[in-house]
Amino acid sequence: MGSLAHNAPIVFTFHALRFTHEVYPMKENDPLISELANIVGSEHVITDSTSLSVYECDGATVFKALPDVVVFPTTPQEISAIVKLANKHNVPFVARGAGTGLSGGMLTVNGGIIIALNRMNRILEIDIANQQAVVEPGVVNLWLTQAVQDDGYYYAPDPSSQQACSIGGNIAENSGGPHTLKYGVTSNHVLGLEVVLTDGEIVEFGGAVEETPGYDIRGVMIGSEGTFGIVTKATVRLLRKPEGYQTLLGIFETIDDASNVVSSIIAKGIIPAALEMMDHFVIKAVEEAFHWGFPLDAGAVLIVELDGIKAGMQSQAEQITEIFNENNCRETRYAKDEEDRQQIWKSRKSAFGSFGRLAPNYITQDGVVPRTQLPKVLRRIAEISEKYDIPIANVFHAGDGNIHPIVLFDERDADQCERVEAVNMEILRACAEAGGTITGEHGIGVEKMDYMPLIFNPQDLAVMATVKDIFNPSGLCNPGKIFPTAESYAKLGL
Amino acid sequence: MSNSNQLHEDLVQIVGEAGLLPDNQLNRYAIDGIGPQAVVLPASTHEIQEVLGYAADNELSVIPAGSGTKLGIGVPPEEVDLILSTSRLDQILEYEPADLTVTVEAGIRLAVLQAKLTEHGQYFSLDPPYADRCTIGGITATNASGPSRLRFGSARDLVLGMRVVQSSGTVVKSGGKVVKNVAGYDLNKLYLGSFGTLGVITEVSLKLQPLPEIERNILLTFADVGEAVNTASEISGSQLLPTFLNLFINGAPLTDSPEPCLLMGLDGHPETVEWQIDSVKTIAQQNEAVGVGVYQGQRQQELRGSMCTFPEDGSATPIVICRANLRRTDVGDFLNTVLEMNDSSSWRVRAMGLMGNGVVYVIFSDFPDSEGPVEHVADAIANLRDAAANVGGNLIIESAPTALKRQIDVWGPVGGSFELMKAIKTKFDPVGLLNVGRFVGGI
Repeated sequence: MGSLAHNAPIVFTFHALRFTHEVYPMKENDPLISELANIVGSEHVITDSTSLSVYECDGATVFKALPDVVVFPTTPQEISAIVKLANKHNVPFVARGAGTGLSGGMLTVNGGIIIALNRMNRILEIDIANQQAVVEPGVVNLWLTQAVQDDGYYYAPDPSSQQACSIGGNIAENSGGPHTLKYGVTSNHVLGLEVVLTDGEIVEFGGAVEETPGYDIRGVMIGSEGTFGIVTKATVRLLRKPEGYQTLLGIFETIDDASNVVSSIIAKGIIPAALEMMDHFVIKAVEEAFHWGFPLDAGAVLIVELDGIKAGMQSQAEQITEIFNENNCRETRYAKDEEDRQQIWKSRKSAFGSFGRLAPNYITQDGVVPRTQLPKVLRRIAEISEKYDIPIANVFHAGDGNIHPIVLFDERDADQCERVEAVNMEILRACAEAGGTITGEHGIGVEKMDYMPLIFNPQDLAVMATVKDIFNPSGLCNPGKIFPTAESYAKLGL
Repeated sequence: MSNSNQLHEDLVQIVGEAGLLPDNQLNRYAIDGIGPQAVVLPASTHEIQEVLGYAADNELSVIPAGSGTKLGIGVPPEEVDLILSTSRLDQILEYEPADLTVTVEAGIRLAVLQAKLTEHGQYFSLDPPYADRCTIGGITATNASGPSRLRFGSARDLVLGMRVVQSSGTVVKSGGKVVKNVAGYDLNKLYLGSFGTLGVITEVSLKLQPLPEIERNILLTFADVGEAVNTASEISGSQLLPTFLNLFINGAPLTDSPEPCLLMGLDGHPETVEWQIDSVKTIAQQNEAVGVGVYQGQRQQELRGSMCTFPEDGSATPIVICRANLRRTDVGDFLNTVLEMNDSSSWRVRAMGLMGNGVVYVIFSDFPDSEGPVEHVADAIANLRDAAANVGGNLIIESAPTALKRQIDVWGPVGGSFELMKAIKTKFDPVGLLNVGRFVGGI
C-alpha cells in the first residue's frame, strides 16, 4: 500500500475510483437509513461519525475507511432484507465479525453498510455424540471451547485472537492458529454453512454430514473473505480434548539451530500439536515487557507441544529433548502442569502485546515457506531489515513454515512508510520464490492484494474472478479486496 | 467408418501412436456398455490442451480419466466420444521429505507414489478403493477416500494445490505447495470431487504423513449389531485415536462371514498402541464382544486390504454399490435397515460403516437372475436413500447395472445450492465439453 504514508481515508481513494459502481452518495437523513431501521430497529443502526469510527478498521489498524452506516441484525431474514435493500440502492455492504482481522478484509473501501454480526452470537446446538455444534457467526471462538470443555471437548482452530475473534470471521478468513500444524485450519473443521447470498437468498451448503453430492460450495465459501455472501450459521466439528500434553520450551543460540530442531522432529516422524518459534528480537521485547526469564542474548526460543494419549508421550518428549541437545540447546523448560503450560503459551501469545513498546505501528506479515526453507528465508528477512533500516521481529508457526515477520515503523514518518512498503514486498517475494505463499492465515484483504501476482498469474486470477462473478455478480458484497490492480502489477515491476 | 479413421488420424497428429489406445482395448474404458470413440493418453500438458481444442472444434465431448477405475460413477452417458486419460503424466515433480509434501503429475498411480514415499519413511494417508491401480488425479477428481480418513481426513484435508487445464485449454493453478495457504479463493475444493466436469487435473500437491512405528489391527466380533454399534460409539467418544474404525454387516473382512464385526486400526508409537489395545479389550469385554483378535504383520495387511477393497466392483455378476453419508449417531439405525433388507430380499445386502465418519457403503449382490430384478432393487435403494435423507443424510450410487442407473438418479437430490453449481459448470465449461450430463442434476 503506497498510501501508507497518507492519512486514513486517502488510502483508499484510488480503490474507490477503480470500483466500477458509483459509490452511494449517502445524504443526511437518507431514506436508506430509515429503511435499515425498519428492518433491525433504529437502536441497532449507527450513523454518527464518532460511533462509526470504531468500524473504520480491523486489527491491521494502518488501513482505515469509514462506513456510512453500521447495522446489527439478529436473523438471516434481517440480513437478507438488508442485502436486498443494498442491492436496490446499489450500496456496497460488508459483513464484520469482531474486527480482529489482520488484512483489512472488512474495510468499507467504497463506504456503504457494515453488517455487524455481533448480536448473532448464540451457540444454537451442541451435539456431543456427533462431535459437532451449530453456531451463529458472531460467537467468539473461545466461547465454543468454553461451552463444551466440561464434556471433554474443544473447538480446534485457535487463532491468537481467539478470546475476541468470531467464528464467522474465522470462516471468512479460513483462520489458523498455533495448533493447525496437527489439526488443520478452519476449513478442516466446518461441515455446513447457512449463507445469505449476495442477492439476499438464504441457502445451506454441506450440513451435519461429512459430504453432500455436488460441488463443495462450502469449501469454496470458506476463506472467500466475505466476498461470496454472509455466513449466518455454521456447523462445526468438536474434538475430544487430548488426554495429555507435553509442552517443552527450548532456548537456542541461533535461529538456525532452532530450525534444525524443527526439521529433525518432523524427520523422526513426530508431528507435534504445535511448533512455535520466537527470534532474538521478540525474546527481548517479550522479556522486557513481561519478564518470563528468557536470556536477553538468546537467538531463538522454540515451543514444542505434544498432545494426545499419555502413553508413549514421555518417550517422545525425551526424543525431542535429545534433538534439542544435539542442536546446542542452552536450556530446556518443561511444563510440569497445566499452569506451567498456560504460562509458556502466554509468553508466546503475549508477543504481539509487547511490540507497542518498540514502535508506534507494526504490520504483521503472514508468508508461508516450505519448512526446509525457513533458515534461508529468515536470513533473507534479516538482510532486508538491514537494507531498509526497518526493524523486523519474527514470531511464527515454525512447524508449518508460516512466518510472521513483524515490521516495526512509525506511520507519521513518510520516508519510513515508503521503506516499509519495499520491505513488505521483498519479504513476500522471498516467500514466493522459496516455493511458498504470501498468506497462511490472515487473508489477502486490502493489505496484500498488490502482491497476489507474486503467486498467481493473470489466468489463475481470472478463474478466481470468474468464481467471484458467480457468487457476487453486482460486486457490491465486500468490494475492493483480494484482486490486484494495474497499479499492483506496475508496483511489482510486472 | 471413414469418420472414425479421420478421428484417429487427427488424434495421432496430436498425441502420436503411443498416445492413442489401440481399438481392441477400447472396451476397457466402456461406460455403461458404451465404448468410447477413442481413448487418448497425452504425454504432456500441451497435448492435453491440443486434444481439448480439437474436441471443441469438432464438437466431441471429453471425459477426463486416470486409470479409469471410477469412470462408471455417474449418470449413464448417451454416447462417449473421447476419454482423456492422464495416466502417462506419471512423474513425481517435487519431493522434499523434510517438508512432508509432494507434488506429482496427476497420472501417477497411488501405489507407485506410496512405494517411493516409503523409501523415506512416509506415505500419503488416503486408502481409497482400487488403490493398486487408481491415480492421484482420479482420487482428487472423484474425492475418493478410504477408512483412514477417520484419522487423517479426506482429500479436501490433504490436497494443497492443483494445476488444471480448463476446457478452454488455459492452464491454471489453485492453492500452492505449502501446508498452510489462504491466498485467494480455495478453488482446490471446487475441483475435488467435480468428476472431471470443470477441467483436467494435471498436477497435484499433497500433504504426507510419517509412517507409523508400528501398526496393529483389532477385529472384534459381536452377536448383534447393537453391541457393535455401541462399542464403536464408545471408542469414538474415548481418548483412543484409531486410524480407522469400520463395522461390517453380513460380510466380515477376509472371511465374508455374516456376524457383525468391528475392524480397527491402531498405528503409531509402540507404547501408545499397546495402551490403546488394552483399552479396546476392556471396552470390548464390557460390550460383550464374542471374539477379540489382535493382528500384526501379514495378517494385519490382509485384513486391511480386504477392508479397503470392500467397496470395489470386482464381481463378474452384477452388483450395486451405494455410499451413504450420515451423522455418526444415525449409522446404527441405518445398518439395522440394511440388515432387515437382507433378511427380506431374494438377494444379498452387506454393509461397511466408517463409524467415526458416518459413511456407510452398502452392497447389493447375488441377484437371483443375472440382470437382477431391477425395479425391486431400485425400490430398495430408494428406501435406503429416504432413510438417509430423513435424518439429514444422503446416498449416492457408485456402481450399478446400467438399467438400474436409468431407473434411479445415482446422485440423488442436491438441494438449494444447485443453481450455483450449474452456474459454476456453465462458466467453467461454457461449450459443454467435459464429462457432460453425468454429474449431479445432469450437470
